[in-house]
Amino acid sequence: MKPFYCLLIFVSPLAFSQKMIGGKITDKKGNPLVGANVFLKGTYDGSTTDAAGMFSFKTSEKDTATISASYVGFELSEKKIRINENTANLIFKLDELANELNTVVITAGAFEASDEKRMAMLKPLDIVTTAGAAADITGAMQFLPGAQRVGEQEGLFVRGGSGQETKVVIDGMIVQNPFFSSLPDVQQRGRFNPFMFKGTSFSTGGYSAQYGQALSSVLLLNTTDKANNNGLGISLNMANAGVNYDYAFKNQSVSAVAYYGNLKPLFAVVKQNVEWLHEPEFKGSSLTYRLKTSKNGVLKVYGMYSDSHLSMNTKDPSVEAGTMRLNLKNRNAFMTSTLTDSWKDGKWSLNSGFSYSRNTDDMTFDAVNFGRFDERTQARVVLTRLLTGNNTILFGGEAHAINLQNRVDGTTYKLKDRYAAAFAESEIYITRQLAGRIGMRSEYSSVINRLNWAPRLSFALKSGRFSQFSLAAGQFYQNPDYRYLYLNKNLNYERADHLILNFQIIKNQRTFRIETFYKNYAQLVREFTGQPYDADPYRFPWGTTNNGGKGYARGFDFFWRDQKTVKNLDYWVTYSFVDSKRLFQQFDTEATPTFISNHNVSLITKKWFEKIKTNLSMTYAFTSGRPYFNPNNDEFLKDKTPAVHNVSIQASKLHAIKGNLVIFYASVDNILNTKNVFTYRYTPDGKSRYAVGPQSYRSFFVGMQIMLSKKAKVSKDDF
Amino acid sequence: MKKLLTTLVLIFAVTVVFAQNEKYSQAMTSGIGALKGLDKEKPDVKVLQDIANRFERIAAAEPKEWLPKYYAAYSYVLLGYYGANLTEKDQYLDKAGALIKDAEALLGKPNDELLVMQAYQSQIHLAADAMNRWQSDGPKFTEYLEAAKSANPENPRIYYLEGSNLFFTPEEYGGGKKVAQPLLEKAKQKFSTFKPESTIHPDWGQIETESMLSQSN
Repeated sequence: MKPFYCLLIFVSPLAFSQKMIGGKITDKKGNPLVGANVFLKGTYDGSTTDAAGMFSFKTSEKDTATISASYVGFELSEKKIRINENTANLIFKLDELANELNTVVITAGAFEASDEKRMAMLKPLDIVTTAGAAADITGAMQFLPGAQRVGEQEGLFVRGGSGQETKVVIDGMIVQNPFFSSLPDVQQRGRFNPFMFKGTSFSTGGYSAQYGQALSSVLLLNTTDKANNNGLGISLNMANAGVNYDYAFKNQSVSAVAYYGNLKPLFAVVKQNVEWLHEPEFKGSSLTYRLKTSKNGVLKVYGMYSDSHLSMNTKDPSVEAGTMRLNLKNRNAFMTSTLTDSWKDGKWSLNSGFSYSRNTDDMTFDAVNFGRFDERTQARVVLTRLLTGNNTILFGGEAHAINLQNRVDGTTYKLKDRYAAAFAESEIYITRQLAGRIGMRSEYSSVINRLNWAPRLSFALKSGRFSQFSLAAGQFYQNPDYRYLYLNKNLNYERADHLILNFQIIKNQRTFRIETFYKNYAQLVREFTGQPYDADPYRFPWGTTNNGGKGYARGFDFFWRDQKTVKNLDYWVTYSFVDSKRLFQQFDTEATPTFISNHNVSLITKKWFEKIKTNLSMTYAFTSGRPYFNPNNDEFLKDKTPAVHNVSIQASKLHAIKGNLVIFYASVDNILNTKNVFTYRYTPDGKSRYAVGPQSYRSFFVGMQIMLSKKAKVSKDDF
Repeated sequence: MKKLLTTLVLIFAVTVVFAQNEKYSQAMTSGIGALKGLDKEKPDVKVLQDIANRFERIAAAEPKEWLPKYYAAYSYVLLGYYGANLTEKDQYLDKAGALIKDAEALLGKPNDELLVMQAYQSQIHLAADAMNRWQSDGPKFTEYLEAAKSANPENPRIYYLEGSNLFFTPEEYGGGKKVAQPLLEKAKQKFSTFKPESTIHPDWGQIETESMLSQSN
C-alpha cells in the first residue's frame, strides 16, 4: 500500500502530460479576428489569436473541458471539447454584438438632437449656435426638414399642419403654454431655455403611441439629469439681465434662475415696424431640484413663474383709425415633476410624472376685456419591459384636467375637459436588419364624450452598413380648437392619417436623408356663418360648426449635413416641399390654407476659428409665397405673397478672464434688410390692404454670458 | 495508517492550492510586468490586447479575485485611448466599464482604486469625443475622484489623474501645465509615501507623473 501513497505525492497537478489545442477564430463571414481571447474555462491555459486569427496553446487538462472564445464587440462563444490528439483545429465563428452600425433604428418621422445617441442628426448645442434661431428651440426647429416657416405666428408648422397641430412635450408631459402669449402678427419665442434639455426629438409625423392630441407633430424635450456645473452665471444682453446658480450635492442638485428683461433699449436702436406703447417687459424665475432616489432612480422637480407686460398699437383694418390699442399682461406658472427608475438590470423601467400649469392673460383691445385663462393638471405613468434581443414592450396611461376661459366682448366662455389616454407599444427586432414598432393608443375626452382608437406602426430595414429605409403609418386625433367647443359640445375629434417613407445614410460625419409623406385629414371642423369669408385671424368663431371638413398634405423633404469635408466647418442644407389643400374652418371650397408655403429651403453653416476661439454661423432661409385672402378675387385664396428671404449671421467668442469664462455673442438678423411680407390684410371695403411683416427688418443683438465658476470647463460647442 | 492517509491527502490538497496560488501570483506578476514594459508613448496595441486577454483569463480562473479584473479594465482603458476609431474606442471602454462593475460586485462596494479606474475610464471616454461628451463625462470624472478621495485621500493616482486632466486642458478653459503643476507635485509627494498592499496591487502612475512634471517646469 505505501508505495501508492508515495506516488500520489509526486503526482503534482503540473506533471500531467500536455496536449496542444489550436484553431481559428473568425466573424460570421470568415474574416479572421485578431486579438481574440481563447482559453479553457477554470484554467490558466489560453492564448490570443494572431494576425491570421489563429491560436494554439498547451494544456494539461484531460478528458473534457469548456473552451471559451471572446472578442470585443462580439458575442462570447463556448464549446465543450474532448481533449485528445484532434483538438488542434477548432473553428469559432463569432456573432457580432448589436451596435449602432449593425442594428437598424426606427427613424421615420423622427429628427433627433442628442448627445447620447450617435444616430442623432443634431446636437443640443446646435440649437444655440445656429444663426437666425435666436437661441430659441422652435426657432432652430424651423430650419429642419418638414417644417414650414410662418413668420407672423408662433408654433411649429409641420408638413401642411397648423401651429396648433404640434404639441410640445417636456419629459412626457404636454406643455400647455410653450410660447409667450400670442399677439396679433407678432411671432413669440418659446418659454424654455435650450440649456435645460439634454435631448430634443422633433417628429415630422408617424410618432409613437405614447403621445397624442397632435395631428401633425410632437416636439419632445428631455431635461438634463444633472446640474451642468457648480457656480454662478450671469447673462447680460440688450434685452435682459439674468443670474443662474447651480449647486450639486452628492445625490441631489439645485439650479435656480432669475431674470429681468425690458426691450426698450433694444427697440431704441433697432427700428420697429410696430408702434409700441409699452415695450415688452418681463421677469421670471425658475427652480430645478433633482434627487437621486435610488441606484437608478431620479426625481426631478421643475417650477417656473414668469410675468410680462406690453402694450402696442396694432393694425386693424376693421376700424376707422386703422389701429387699435392692445394691452397685455401675462402671468404664467408651470410646475412639473418626474420620477424615473429601473429595476432588475434595466428589465423594468418606470417613467412617471405630474404637472400643473396655469396661465392668465389680461388682455384688452381698445379697452374691451379679451382675457384668457387656462389651467392643466396632468399625471402620467409609463412602464417599459425590456425583453430578450432588445425587444421592448411598454404600456402606460395619462390623465388631464383642463379648464379654459375666454372673455369675448364681455361674455365669459368656460370649458372643462377631462382627458384620459391609455397606450401600449412594442418594438420588435425580427432580425438586426429588420425592426418594427406596433402601438395602439386610446383616448377619451369628456368634452367630446367619445372614445378613439389610434393605431401606430413603423418599420425599419437596414439596407447597408450605413443606410436604411423606414416606414411609418398611423392615426392621430386631436380635440378641435377649444374656441369651437365653447359653443358646440357635439363636435368630434379631428383626425389625421400619416404615411411616411424614409431613406437615410449616415457615414463618416455626413448625413443624407430623404423622406416622403402623405397625410390625410378627416373630421376637420367647418364653420358656417352665412356671410362672406372673414380673414381676421383673431375673430371669435360664432357660426354653426360640424366635423365635415377634410384635406390632405403630401410632399417630401431632403436633408444633407457634412461635418467632415472642411475641418471645423459644419454645414447643412434642407429642402421641404409640401402640397396641401383643405376644406375646413370657414372655407366654402377646398383651398390651400394661408400657413402653407410650398417650398422651404435653408442653408446653415458654422465655422470654428480655433486661434481666436470664435464660432461664426450663417443661415440663409427661403420660404416661397403663401396664399392670402383677397376679397376682390373671385377665386378663394388664389393670391400669393412674395417669397421670404432671410440671411442672418451670428458670432460667439470664448474668452477667459481671471479663470472665469466669458462668452461674447453678436448677431445680425436679415442682414440684407429685405422687406419681407408674411401676408396681406384688407380693409372691410376691400379697397386697400396693408402688409404684415416682421417686427423689424434688419436687426442686431449683442450680449455676454459669464460663468463665475472655476470648475466650468467649456469647449467650442459650449455656447 | 489513517493518520498518514489524512496527512497525505492534506499535503496533496495544499500542494494543489499552493500551486494554484503560485500560479496566480506568477501570472499576475508577469502580466503587470508586461504592462510596465509597454512603450509609454506608443504602446503596441496587439501586445496590449494580449495583456488584457491574459488578465481576463486569470479573472476567469480566479473568480473571487478582483485584481485580475482591475488590471483587465486598466488594459482596456488604455486600449480605449489607442483605439482606431470612435466605435472601437467605445467598445474597449464599455468592456472596461463592465469589468470594473464585476470587480465592484466582488468587493461588495467600490474601493478607492476602482473609483480611480472609473474616473480614468470616464476621462478617456470624454477624450474620445470631447466636443460631445465633456458635459456628461466631465462631472462623472470629478464625482469618481471625489468618492475615491473620501475612501482614501492618500491614493496618489487621484491627484495624478486630476493633474493630467488639467495638463491636457487648454489654458483658455482653465487648464494648462501651470495649473496642473501643484496637483502633480501633490501626486509625486503621495507616491513617495505610497506602499501598495502587495506586489500585485495597483502601483502605476508615478513615472507618468514625473514625466509630466518634467514638462511643466
